[in-house]
Amino acid sequence: MALQIGDLLFRPDAFFRRLVAEPESLNIPALIVIAGGLIAAAAAYIISGTYAKMFEAAAGAGMATFIGLFGAISAFIGFVLIWWIIFAGVFTVISMVFKGSGSFKRTLQCTGYGLLPVVIGSVISLLVALYYVPMIQAPVLTSFSDPAAIQKAMEGMLQDPAFREFTLISTAISVIFLAWSANLWIFGMQHARSLPLRQAAVTVLVPVIIYIVYVLFMAMNGIRLLGGS
Amino acid sequence: MRGVVPALCVAVALVLLMPAAAAQDPGADAAAQVTVTSISLEPGIFFEGDTGIITIEITNNGFESVAIRRATMYDADISVLSSSYDTTTTIGAGNSMQFSFTVKADVPPGIYYPKFSLDFRNAGYLRYPVQIRVENDPLEISILDKPDTFGAGRKDRVDILIGNPRDNPASGVVVHVSGEGIDATPSSYFIGTLNADRSQRVSFNITPEKPSVLEFRVDYKNGVNPHATSVTIPVGFGVSKTEANPLLSNILVEYQDRKYVLTGDIYNAGLEVANSVVLTAGGGAVPVDPYQSYVVGSLEPDDFSSFELTFTAGNITTVPVVVSYRDVDGNPFEKTYPVSIPAQTSGSAKEPGIALPIIGVVIASAAVIGGAIWYSWKKK
Repeated sequence: MALQIGDLLFRPDAFFRRLVAEPESLNIPALIVIAGGLIAAAAAYIISGTYAKMFEAAAGAGMATFIGLFGAISAFIGFVLIWWIIFAGVFTVISMVFKGSGSFKRTLQCTGYGLLPVVIGSVISLLVALYYVPMIQAPVLTSFSDPAAIQKAMEGMLQDPAFREFTLISTAISVIFLAWSANLWIFGMQHARSLPLRQAAVTVLVPVIIYIVYVLFMAMNGIRLLGGS
Repeated sequence: MRGVVPALCVAVALVLLMPAAAAQDPGADAAAQVTVTSISLEPGIFFEGDTGIITIEITNNGFESVAIRRATMYDADISVLSSSYDTTTTIGAGNSMQFSFTVKADVPPGIYYPKFSLDFRNAGYLRYPVQIRVENDPLEISILDKPDTFGAGRKDRVDILIGNPRDNPASGVVVHVSGEGIDATPSSYFIGTLNADRSQRVSFNITPEKPSVLEFRVDYKNGVNPHATSVTIPVGFGVSKTEANPLLSNILVEYQDRKYVLTGDIYNAGLEVANSVVLTAGGGAVPVDPYQSYVVGSLEPDDFSSFELTFTAGNITTVPVVVSYRDVDGNPFEKTYPVSIPAQTSGSAKEPGIALPIIGVVIASAAVIGGAIWYSWKKK
């Protein structure tokens, strides 16, 4: 298993060549995705604690728990949907342009394996979150009656130096490990969709670059995406 | 015999003529020309127990001097304190003379007539009743205006009316204000003479320090007799029905940049204007810039204003927001509203710049991933 993971990370071409020769199975990819989802949920719960503190005085401790659970569940579902289902679907659609062949299940399998670097990045982002979140000094709201005050408080938290730094670093880590996953996906799509390497690269890099641009844009504007790291 | 008859006739005639000669006594005629021409009483109307002076002026309207043996006054009820004029004197033709008597009215209210008696020498008497009225109606004090309730240290105005229901003026009228723990301005008010059926309005500013009884005492004189009348009103503390009533609402507390920012609205729910409204955080809170205190200024009834306070606080969960204001008379008021504040966000302050271990992790990750990608393409 350790050898297989090493092949996946450092010799993906050989790994996926062997993988497509075997029967399709989503067990291990599903485990990887679920692990990633749980880590993302944990990170979201920690970050939601900051928002919970902001609203706790106005809405009570129940609201804080609700915000935390809502953030964690959203992050888990978001991770599974965005990183696995949607990316695999986008890869399939783009590869169709290049006359790619192969089942969607095989694409899901390869996409799931390719998410391992993103999961590793999520772990690192989780550790970074544990380091930064205690330093975030969120404004505390005591009433929901003034929308302008709520907006001001939100802006205040987003302008917090620790929060901004955490956002930038987690985004950088996310982009770096996404690049690694993209590299795996290129070889994965090459074998799963029977594409030439160049067309497999286009299939993967187009949505990934769009996503990276989007993430960087949102990070620069101070809005944290749910799910993923 | 013939000589006897005429003599008898002359004798009878003389006898018959003698009374007529006596009735035409020159002294009695002159005394009849003496009359009382004026009477003055001081005071004009007596209180029971008052001492006063009756001055009687007589005038000789005849052409001859009249000898007076004695002048006196007497009455069964009214006490005459002064002595009679017992020295024989003469009032010349056309002259006037005054006699003063000190009397004391130790009698119940009513109308009395002590008699002035002038005893002429060999010419009878002149008796003249003098009317003296005795009434016990004092000056009246009416409370025209006063606050519903008083407040500790709060200045309120009380208006009173001093009326004179008597038929003679009261002199030296002075209004005094007193009461335990009460500061009055002015402390007294001099009216002077208050004529009959007249009144005088007087205003006092009253500042009590504790619940007490406020007394207005009017000192005055009726002639030379001092009198006083007073009225008291209770000074109870309470809430005025019309006073300004500032209330806080829409309170929002944020903790940002290591300080609390408290915003909200202040309404005047009372019926009077609140002047010089100032808000500040009290108790364990330490006001800090930029809004250590917030000056709202004047707040009309049913009006409101937004405010903002900035402060720091230790391990406390409630901060009293102190609202100080003044009424139209400048009386200071203060109200305190407790406001719950959220706990400060725990954790240390963020040092500027990214920590070196974080930078190291990012660089190492980038290096490892770069190497992995390079290796994966090399071993393809």
